[in-house]
Amino acid sequence: MAKDKIKAKIQRYDPEKDQKPYFQEYVVEIDRELTVHELLTKIHKNYDGTLAYRAYKCFKGMCTTCIVKLDGKTVRSCATRVEPGSEITIEPAGGGALIRDLVVDFKKM
Amino acid sequence: MDMKTYTTDVVVIGGGGAACRAAIEVSEKGLNSMMLDKGRPGRSGATPCALWSIQAPFGPRGRDQRDTPEQYFEDMVKAGRFIGDQNIAEIVAFTACDRILDMEKYGVHFKKYDDGRFFQTPMPGQTYPRSCFMIENGQHMSTVLAKEVSRRDNIQVLKDFFVFDLLKNGDVVVGVIGMDLLTGELVAVNAKSTVMATGGYTSLWGFSDNPPTLTGDGVAMAYLAGADIVDLEFNQYYGTDVIWPPSVKGAVVLYELMIDEFADGEITDKDGNIIIEKPLPIRDEAIKIIFETIKAGKGTPHGGVYFDTTLSPKGEDAVRDVFKNMTPKHYKFLIDAAGIDLAKEPLEVAPASHYQCGGIYINGRGQATVEGLYACGECAGNFQGANRLAGSALCDTQTTGAHVGGCSADDAKNRDMLPADKSNLNEKKELVNMFLSKKNKSTRPLFIKEEILKTMDQHMAPFRNEKGMEKGLSLIQSLSEQLENIQVPEIKRYNFELEEALEARLMVDAAKITFGSAMFRKESRGHHNREDYPDTDNKNWRCHTIVKQVDGKPQYSKRDVIYTRMKPQD
Repeated sequence: MAKDKIKAKIQRYDPEKDQKPYFQEYVVEIDRELTVHELLTKIHKNYDGTLAYRAYKCFKGMCTTCIVKLDGKTVRSCATRVEPGSEITIEPAGGGALIRDLVVDFKKM
Repeated sequence: MDMKTYTTDVVVIGGGGAACRAAIEVSEKGLNSMMLDKGRPGRSGATPCALWSIQAPFGPRGRDQRDTPEQYFEDMVKAGRFIGDQNIAEIVAFTACDRILDMEKYGVHFKKYDDGRFFQTPMPGQTYPRSCFMIENGQHMSTVLAKEVSRRDNIQVLKDFFVFDLLKNGDVVVGVIGMDLLTGELVAVNAKSTVMATGGYTSLWGFSDNPPTLTGDGVAMAYLAGADIVDLEFNQYYGTDVIWPPSVKGAVVLYELMIDEFADGEITDKDGNIIIEKPLPIRDEAIKIIFETIKAGKGTPHGGVYFDTTLSPKGEDAVRDVFKNMTPKHYKFLIDAAGIDLAKEPLEVAPASHYQCGGIYINGRGQATVEGLYACGECAGNFQGANRLAGSALCDTQTTGAHVGGCSADDAKNRDMLPADKSNLNEKKELVNMFLSKKNKSTRPLFIKEEILKTMDQHMAPFRNEKGMEKGLSLIQSLSEQLENIQVPEIKRYNFELEEALEARLMVDAAKITFGSAMFRKESRGHHNREDYPDTDNKNWRCHTIVKQVDGKPQYSKRDVIYTRMKPQD
């Protein structure tokens, strides 16, 4: 992947219309290293307004509202950086019922 | 769209410290309540962002035996530049210790001396060291309070629930209407008392150290329902928030940590000259120094100043220990998200929007000027005055939360349940349909929100003037005309863009009356600095600014400040 791009495969799923979850690929143009949370914000703004993710941030990487699975591993999206040129996979995390795309119903506090 | 209806004694809007404490107090009074949280319980609002500091005058039970509630009260009144209502400031100062003991009972961990006294840190503006130390900072406080709420059977919590308007029966507020984001359902909650605990709206500004969800819903809804709103020109900026790199822009690093008891570093200009002398000034003075440095061309490459601990005589390891002990999560976050070690390198910081001192006007029982409506915590407006002390925000959530929650419950016992007017309800439902319907020339709510944030950053900075504000206000007016062009996708579950559209509608009103209030006050005081009226004018302006909607338009007026124990001396 070129150094000014990140290729993100993101799990999409709307239980109201989709049979099962599927992956959608976004090639995002970037000019610097960014966090996963910034990447999702960028995709939502510039590429696909229908992507559901949690935009809340607490500024200290602690509230875990923004957790996702990055290449299979659960991370805090606001505190995890993605290198320019990388190809990544993002899936929902947190264990609750899947609401839509990356948003789950957090059961526990 | 289908609509579900709930009925309860008291409905509390919000999910942070004030909302939780209000709901707990209603529960203590034996009444049923519902708490409607825009996010995830225990993890939403500004409370999780807070650090260790919560003020309470423990005196002999704390660090300095000379401290008293009277002294706390006096410090608060002076820092607020004499325009905080003292009947409410008394509630804060005189119940603070009891509320902290409640928190301890719920499970919040405080640092103590070996003999059991509360460890307290000194902060600027406190006559004696008064900030109790929450070991795991605001995140833990927030989680503990939410757990206390969930343990009580008479509190029902709706999470991921966005309240977008108040419901009325004639002139009385009788509950709220909102959207359950998880299911996409419209929900009305009918209640005898409605308590606003939605926090501040610092994220109406682009450069903010608060979560993006704090956009002014509460104040705007109260305004639209006809309540008096007060002192919105006093939005507090915090001096040292990260401005670079962008991945951590808005993260707060406390200048209060620069005293010799802690990191003992310095705030400097681009050339390394110390700009803030010790003892450290209180917040409104600190931001003035920083702004003046930047304005004089002595700012850093990205328009800030340096937060520099490398100048500390203590050395890197000792400084690192301070951060690890006092703000462990913030310290680690900067490393994880940006590769920045605060103990090792200077950081570019600048003043960002931090706390709204103004808000909904309340009386000594927390009642707004519209029957049935109450407010507590940051969204209540008339007790901080023109500036806020460090450690007061969290303290207010507990003191006013408990007091106002209790009063709202007492009143609910003597009030009948009134249904919302049919026409009122239909009007609100129509709003949602408006945003979902197809348009010829459509826009996304995000674009309108971004323009609002940009306009506030540019024209509602702490230093402002008539011309800039007129420009800002006209930009906001034109954005408000664009609201009807918003079109969002028809998605049932987690329709975030629909939430943003409903948010944008409230944001334009919050922005409009903030501009109006700042234009109305023709003097400089606290966090409101008019370049065209640089002096404090006690003769004409030692009073509140009130804004109220009359015939669809904001109407501005003055109101006397309530003095109880301490009148201004001149």
